[in-house]
Amino acid sequence: MTTETTTTSPRALARRRRRASAARFWRQYRTHRAGLFGLAALVLFALLALAAPLLVGSGVSNVTDAPGRPLQGPSAAFPLGTDQFGRDLLGLLVWGARVSLLVGLLAAVLSVAIGTLIGVTAGHFGGWYATVMMRITDWFLVMPTLVLAIALATVMSRSLTTIVVAIGVTTWPTTARLVRAQTLAVETRPYIERARALGGGHRHIMTRHVLPNVMPLVLAQTTLIISSAILAEATLAFLGLGDPTVVSWGGLLQDAREAGAVSAGHWWYLVPPGIAIAVVALAFTLCGRAVESVLNPRLGVGR
Amino acid sequence: MDTRTGSLPGRVRLLAGAGAAALTLTASLATPLNPSPAQARAAGDGEKVLTVAVAQSVDSLSPFLAVRLVSTSIQRLMYEFLTNYDPEDARAVPGLATRWESSPDKLTWTYTIRSDSRWSDGKRATAEDAAWTFNKMMTDQGAATANGSFVGNFRKVTAASPTKLVIELKKPQATMTALDVPIVPKHVWEKVGDFSKFNNDTRFPVVGNGPFVLTDYKADSYVRLKANKTFWRGAPKFDELVFRYYKDQDAAVSALRKGEVSFVAGSPSLTPAQAASLEGEPDIRVNDAPGRRFYALATNPGARAKNGQKFGDGHPSLLDQRVRHALFMAVDREAIIDKVFRGHAVEGEGYIPPRFSQYFWKPSPARKLAYDPAKAARLLDRAGYRRDGDGRRLGKDGEPITYRVLCHATDPNDKAIGKYLQEWWGELGIGVRLDCLDNVTDPWLAGKYDLAFDGWSVNPDPDFVLSIHTCAALPATPKDTGATDNFICDERYDELYARQLAEYDPAERADLVKQMQARLYDLGYMNVMAYPNAVEAYRTDQIESITTMPAQAGNIYGQDGYWSWWSAVPAESGGSSGGSSSTGVVLGVVGGVVVLAALGGFAALRRRATAEDRE
Amino acid sequence: MDRDDRGERVGVPTDAPGAPPPPAGTAEAAAGRGRGGTAYPRYVAGKVAGAAVSLLAVLVTSFFLFRLIPGDPVKYMTGGRPVSAGQLAAYREQFGLDLPLWQQFADYCGKALTGDLGTSYQFNAPVLDKITEALPNTLLLTGTAFVLYTALGVFLGTRSAWRHGRLGDRLHTGLALTLYSIPSFWLGLLLIIVLSVGAGPLPGLFPTGGMESGGEEGFAYVVDVAHHLVLPVMTLVAVEYGQTLLVTRSALLDEMGSDYLTTARAKGLRDDLVRRRHAVPNALLPTVTLVFINLGRTVAGVILVETVFSWPGLGGLFYQALSVPDLPLVQGLFFVFAAAVILMNTLADLIYPLLDPRVGR
Repeated sequence: MTTETTTTSPRALARRRRRASAARFWRQYRTHRAGLFGLAALVLFALLALAAPLLVGSGVSNVTDAPGRPLQGPSAAFPLGTDQFGRDLLGLLVWGARVSLLVGLLAAVLSVAIGTLIGVTAGHFGGWYATVMMRITDWFLVMPTLVLAIALATVMSRSLTTIVVAIGVTTWPTTARLVRAQTLAVETRPYIERARALGGGHRHIMTRHVLPNVMPLVLAQTTLIISSAILAEATLAFLGLGDPTVVSWGGLLQDAREAGAVSAGHWWYLVPPGIAIAVVALAFTLCGRAVESVLNPRLGVGR
Repeated sequence: MDTRTGSLPGRVRLLAGAGAAALTLTASLATPLNPSPAQARAAGDGEKVLTVAVAQSVDSLSPFLAVRLVSTSIQRLMYEFLTNYDPEDARAVPGLATRWESSPDKLTWTYTIRSDSRWSDGKRATAEDAAWTFNKMMTDQGAATANGSFVGNFRKVTAASPTKLVIELKKPQATMTALDVPIVPKHVWEKVGDFSKFNNDTRFPVVGNGPFVLTDYKADSYVRLKANKTFWRGAPKFDELVFRYYKDQDAAVSALRKGEVSFVAGSPSLTPAQAASLEGEPDIRVNDAPGRRFYALATNPGARAKNGQKFGDGHPSLLDQRVRHALFMAVDREAIIDKVFRGHAVEGEGYIPPRFSQYFWKPSPARKLAYDPAKAARLLDRAGYRRDGDGRRLGKDGEPITYRVLCHATDPNDKAIGKYLQEWWGELGIGVRLDCLDNVTDPWLAGKYDLAFDGWSVNPDPDFVLSIHTCAALPATPKDTGATDNFICDERYDELYARQLAEYDPAERADLVKQMQARLYDLGYMNVMAYPNAVEAYRTDQIESITTMPAQAGNIYGQDGYWSWWSAVPAESGGSSGGSSSTGVVLGVVGGVVVLAALGGFAALRRRATAEDRE
Repeated sequence: MDRDDRGERVGVPTDAPGAPPPPAGTAEAAAGRGRGGTAYPRYVAGKVAGAAVSLLAVLVTSFFLFRLIPGDPVKYMTGGRPVSAGQLAAYREQFGLDLPLWQQFADYCGKALTGDLGTSYQFNAPVLDKITEALPNTLLLTGTAFVLYTALGVFLGTRSAWRHGRLGDRLHTGLALTLYSIPSFWLGLLLIIVLSVGAGPLPGLFPTGGMESGGEEGFAYVVDVAHHLVLPVMTLVAVEYGQTLLVTRSALLDEMGSDYLTTARAKGLRDDLVRRRHAVPNALLPTVTLVFINLGRTVAGVILVETVFSWPGLGGLFYQALSVPDLPLVQGLFFVFAAAVILMNTLADLIYPLLDPRVGR
């Protein structure tokens, strides 16, 4: 034992410990069938989105040299029919995955980043700073999220950034509260006391000790928020607040509605994007729940 | 604790009971007790109801405030105007006035008011009412909100006798038979205090003398009107006219298909997909008529005010006529008609749509800026806008050119054509940034755009759509708002405009109007891409016939006049929709019973299973 | 987005309102009660004061946030119509837009206290009138949906928990999660296609949109409105019941591990009796909190469903007001949406200590 401590640097030790806990996490995660299903679906969609340039090519969204006639039904050439420009809907669906996943991911990262920053600092510093921050958090919490996001998206110009920001700044308060609670719990632990006594500054304690401990929680939270961010992106695009020149699943639904697919009964235009949104949102939710129940088995979610 | 908790299950049971009851209620209501209302009621008490689907909210029911199409159309039905437009050829025909004449100096107009028009409360409509209406608009700023422009040139309006109205003008005005101002009953409206606040929606029925009388209104739900049986031109054939709200156009089309409504216009018209799907339906007629709108690409000519001050930030290259022509020559109008409108539009030529045949003008083949991307590229080269190594065209400042194109976020055509422009102009080496907004007014009026999708509905008298391109329409200072459409100010155009306004001879005036259009075409600031058709649909098992305007291939919704709804003849009922709806009732009842039985059985099974599971 | 803050649901350990553990403040109330009987009134006063502060904050936000929207309302009102400079100035004066911002704000607050939320630009009518016109419609829709999805969620959640791990539970949980992941507007559109337009052999059973056919009276009117209610309510119930189900289920699972239940079973009590008498009431407490918060949120989240089904409610009004932008109306509606959430959160806070049997009185 003594030989081991002398031969291994503390850093390597920490790395090994982390690797071990990751392995433990995976072992437990594996027992959640729904979580595995969600993960598989996610990997599939991620691969599809990454390979889209190879699979369908970036020309799929061109309108001037669209291959088909407008609004054709499913056929061998176009398995899901064509849109109002005569573009291949299957290709657009695959291409749209890129935007939808990207927006969902970025919005969730923004949201969780804001939430974590505020949560950790509020939990760490306490005092009037925490009071003010938590008041702001509470206040954002009672804001009707969709209404606020619509308002923000209207205020700013139509672009993907707008959508990401609108979702990000309206969904962070939950994360902030969760992270703060966790931070408070972590900071009572003796080793923080020790680090402080050894002269560790605020920055050191927050980044080296608190953050790694709240990270699993943040991870679970991110997964869950991506799911709602993807839905939110679809919602905003559907309300016509998205960038009309970019192909996304929500945008496809909006196009379908504007073209009159509902009353014309063009299900092939309307159904696939909706299913894609639902499947990805569900997959992220399942993953999030599985992660959550691994981290906190007391919750009945996975049972 | 036991007793305390014991009280909760009771509440839970109550809750569950309530839920079940509500479910049963909803399930039983799921059966269409009231299918196809128009039909059902028509059969019930003999009342013939015409239901029209609309989407636009009423801004006000007061003729002094309302500016939206839905509201002004309804006012056409509620109140008689001095003159009306013939459904055949849109020339002025008698309305409240039976005859009119102008003095030799062109400054005094005398209208003879008919004596057989009565307000719905029994009083006679007279010249006094008309004079009061105009005078109110001339003296009260609140009453001038909607139609103030019509009286701007009036010096004095008097009622010489109950049948004689005299209007004195400051300057000659050719539009005196096109005064689209509802005449209201003085004895009702003189009691109104603040015209800017009164919405005319407090007392029903609203006193009027049009073909219909407004009887009820519920915001975003319905507007109901009853036929005016004593209307001087003859009573409408339908007993009741209902405008019902469907905020979603697809929902409105579905409602038509089911027979919930008799007529759908769409805003501004049905989409190609909707029209195509309705065309195959029995009992539905799709009315694909030449529209009264033009759909154009407006160019920012450098916004400026009357005081000469320039503002806004339009791209300087657009001041070069060759650039404007080149851009338009790279727009494939045939593709737009074919792909975007899918045939439900006519290729754009002059400013005024061909429907107004006496004013329609089209460029000669030599003059026409036909689609020719190669020529467009050469034109740009010649104008000094050359490509750089990456193929991008550079402006005079050496920066690659990217135009901001203002588009209406609510208009699918804007967005679709915007995508095409991106690719067409991309071929020329010019970038396009599509700025889609719910409300484009702000950048538009500030001149902060390069190009914009533009369109106006043209009235039978084209004065208004011509006036918005005169220098006089520019804002006084950059802070003001002018009537100008996109800041065009051209001396030759203005001179022609002044001449046509003072010209009382129709043929001469039409010729001047055509010259104005030619000038506008050459300037290249207003490039008309298409005249979209009015695509509407109605049920032939509910409406037997209806007058379109123009009578040969014309539209139904939003006419200049009340012809469509006034003339609509109800179909003899007994159509097929009644049959299918009774099948609906049966199926609905059966479905409801099956679902309920299944639920009951499921619950019972579950209960038994629980009991058996017990150790 | 139609279902806000997913992170909060499904038993996430959190001190945020809406999560299964008691809402913030309950502990203090419980502790306070131990000290004396006057604690609850004081607790109530504190909560009410907090809510009042939140409402004030919302008032401030709604005023300043929407000033950021580009667009001069006066230019919108007069855009495209020839208007003299004098008329423009008159408009500005009429709507108080010529005053400095702080003064506009002071006026707004002063009037808001007396219930005057200003005059809508596009309808020339008091904002309050437009809101009171649409509010009952929204309440009818959300209220009906709320009762149904709560009942359904609690019922199925209880069942699922009791039989957890079995096929039925897995199916119900899976279905709830799936419906929960579906965009509500999309589901609404599909329901219109299938149940309203009619697909294949199915006839169109329900109206495609709106709240009433118009012209009906008495009982026929009630039936007519109920008929129009079916599809929007169905959509809302489908996407909303999952959350209640999952929270009820996980709360009940927690509760079922408790010793007293084992005791009760050991006494030989029948299973469903144990469930009804003991487990469910206690497990329902977190659900009660959730239920109130949901109600507040549903009011704001109903925008989409109202849009799809042309329901003449607050959501449609909001969307229309934003596109102008009709600032007074937008502000007023925003305030109403936020107030609904605040009100319901406060109610949840107030009711919780009254219901919690563990906080003995």
